[in-house]
Amino acid sequence: MIETKRPPQNIRREIVGIPVEGAELALHLWRPRGQVKGAVFYFHGLQSHAGWLWEVGPQFADNDIAFYVLDRRGSGISGGTRHDLPDVDTVIRDYVTALEHVRETVGESVPLSLFGHCLGGSFMAALMHHPDFTTRYDAAVFCSAWLGKLHATLDDEQLRTLAAETGQEPWDAGLRAQDFTDEARHRHFIDHDDLAVRELTRRSRGVLLDLERLYMRPERTLPAVPAAYVSGISDPIIDLDDARRTFLGMTGSHGALLQFATDKHYLFYTDVRARLVDWASTFTLLQGLDRHA
Amino acid sequence: MDIPHWQKHWNDRRAPFADECRQARDALLSDLKQPGVAQQRVLADVIDMSAGSVHWRERGYDAVAADPGLFRSVLPIMRYDDFVPEIERETRTKGGTLTCSPVLRWLKTSGTTGVPKLVPYTLHWLLTYRIPAMKAMWGTYLEYHPELLDHPYATLDTQTVREDVFDFVHGIGHQAVSNRHPQINSRDWNPPWYESPWFGPAVPSAHEGRMYHRIRHLVGRDLHYISAINPSTLISLRDLLAAHGTDLVRDLREGTLEGRPYTEPDERAARHLEDVLRKPDFSLKDVWPSLTLYTCWLSASAGLYAAKLDAVFPGVDKLPFMSCGTEGVTTIPVDDSPHSQPLAVGQAYFEFVPADVPLGELVDSGEPVHTLLFDEVEPGRDYHLIMTQGNGLYRLWTGDIYRVDRIVDGTPWVHFVHRDGIFHSFTGEKITESQVTEAIRRGLAASGLGTGLYMCGPRWAEPPYYIVVTEAPEPSPRLDRALSADVDSALHEINIEYASKRDSGRLGALEVVTVPHDAITAYIESRRQAGNATQYKYKPFQQDIDFVAAVSGRISGR
Repeated sequence: MIETKRPPQNIRREIVGIPVEGAELALHLWRPRGQVKGAVFYFHGLQSHAGWLWEVGPQFADNDIAFYVLDRRGSGISGGTRHDLPDVDTVIRDYVTALEHVRETVGESVPLSLFGHCLGGSFMAALMHHPDFTTRYDAAVFCSAWLGKLHATLDDEQLRTLAAETGQEPWDAGLRAQDFTDEARHRHFIDHDDLAVRELTRRSRGVLLDLERLYMRPERTLPAVPAAYVSGISDPIIDLDDARRTFLGMTGSHGALLQFATDKHYLFYTDVRARLVDWASTFTLLQGLDRHA
Repeated sequence: MDIPHWQKHWNDRRAPFADECRQARDALLSDLKQPGVAQQRVLADVIDMSAGSVHWRERGYDAVAADPGLFRSVLPIMRYDDFVPEIERETRTKGGTLTCSPVLRWLKTSGTTGVPKLVPYTLHWLLTYRIPAMKAMWGTYLEYHPELLDHPYATLDTQTVREDVFDFVHGIGHQAVSNRHPQINSRDWNPPWYESPWFGPAVPSAHEGRMYHRIRHLVGRDLHYISAINPSTLISLRDLLAAHGTDLVRDLREGTLEGRPYTEPDERAARHLEDVLRKPDFSLKDVWPSLTLYTCWLSASAGLYAAKLDAVFPGVDKLPFMSCGTEGVTTIPVDDSPHSQPLAVGQAYFEFVPADVPLGELVDSGEPVHTLLFDEVEPGRDYHLIMTQGNGLYRLWTGDIYRVDRIVDGTPWVHFVHRDGIFHSFTGEKITESQVTEAIRRGLAASGLGTGLYMCGPRWAEPPYYIVVTEAPEPSPRLDRALSADVDSALHEINIEYASKRDSGRLGALEVVTVPHDAITAYIESRRQAGNATQYKYKPFQQDIDFVAAVSGRISGR
């Protein structure tokens, strides 16, 4: 558990190269210099990457949590084609490889949480339901993620059209910094982040649909681990009611709903950041308790 | 009456701060007795923090993790500009590129091309090096003058400031090292006066306004100690006290701050200040008879302020500030020696190259450079300084020349001499700052004058020549002529190329212009920029002669 009587600790921030087929991916890590008592693996959304988490990573690490963020293929400083998603199998294999590395690094005894933000939540849900993903995890957090968005917003005909999409022309996600945060500093960062991905090829949306299908039409049940859906009170980008319905349908009695007092989408760039990190740290660490000891 | 928050903070932090400073000083003193152990510890730490970084892995520098002895043969000597591509990457990753520590800030300092530098300020560097260095220095100050913590009004600290930051690089603040705001965590710099009303971000950020607030809060109090980095700040404090004396007296008498209600009227303090201000040459000791200490840089060009500081602080003890730059700490004072300090062997991994080696040419051509370690330097000799800091800037050629004064317990005691390189060269004479300094010293001595503030610049004419403006007790054309001849003659002796060019008529005779005391000080103050007032430096050597007219009120040109 967290040592509550110590001063802030020195931490490490590392970037590990994960070789995968056709590219090297950047696995970012913030960790305590001493004993790692828990681990969080973070799935970033469409435009963000690990470089957005410079305030979050150190706080997790100070809480004795090893905080991992994989720059997805084509995102952040990872290799791969930008603005274009590979096929579902490649996406899943990249995450499987990274998470196997993480579990091997932290060891079996350390509780590991998955944490998916926005579109990252959809990648995470797809991975959790994929038969190739066998790494043990101990908790799951979906944050401001519109799970099943394409299924919720497109009719059957539109879904069929999207599934057959092969176009390479760009599709603009229409993301606006003011929906993410009120803070001028973070808005400026978002608007000037030259590593951000703001558009995808049209065919990539078909891949997103395929990923959604993995958890909207699940072929396996999830392990019995605690899960939470975390958001602001409202969200300018996400239909929270719909997202929560999907979440609860997916997690059943293991799921919990949590709201922080903000109306912005990117909770980490609001006043609730520190409380969210502390809550997620506790949520993670508690899974390490040996209740049979 | 309730104790104000800032005084509660002062009381809460007083004993812990003193303890932390004493411990840091003890650790420094221990390192100085075992400098080899300290240097190996720093090198091991640097390797531990960087071997896993993206940059070191890509270049194969991580090989030194297995054999630290390879460090100097594997890693090249670097200039700041050589790091720029990696720093650009690091601005996006915020750590992991140059070191395995998160970058918390980018430190801003002037670069060679006019683009401000980005010096990475990492959590590891903050906790392991920069804050302990500050505490060790304050430990020395407290050892010699414990009264600086006697009460909440005992110390005026102008070394550091707290200013809101409005400049960001990919989300991370870009600010001067002296700006300790906002506090990063409870292990960040946190002196007892951190919450004092003259120290916080509510104080005006412009130099003059900030100084006014400092003075207003402390006039009439038993101030013991004023700390600064640059001596010019202390001179400026005295000048601004004179310039705003009437307003200060009114504010004291009426209990106001800049005319607005602030506190109880203090008639006694108002009257005392009025009395002091009637003396045209009042000192800060007159303003604060309780003053016992001031600190600032005392050597190199700062040493030229010595006479002025003596006048402003008669009978007040002085201690030196550390030798440091934004890029790192080089020396930390451990006693009251004004002009020499021990190499801070626990702060960086230091290498030296004799000053007469053309290091720039060798680095430019990529030739291997043989460096000396701390235990290979000799007293009395000057060296280029190369330092490896725990922030990722390894084997950084600082451009500074240090002189080794002596060796104590194996640790070199050194002082900053000058920046490397030629000051100017019209026609191949390649004169250096130290050559001009020595020529001016000799020339002034020939007229029975000590060296005070001066400025020197090149004047393009037919033929070109150098101009020196220097303060003198009684400026006169006659004195100008005598000094011109003597300084020119001295430079003739010191630099044989200068002599050759002068003898052949390719260079004109050096010209000296004398100005009254305080003329150069006033000019420097006029140039002090609002944004970097804390770190503003007096630069004797200029690359043009705009200062001549500004300081002397005359257009030079024979």
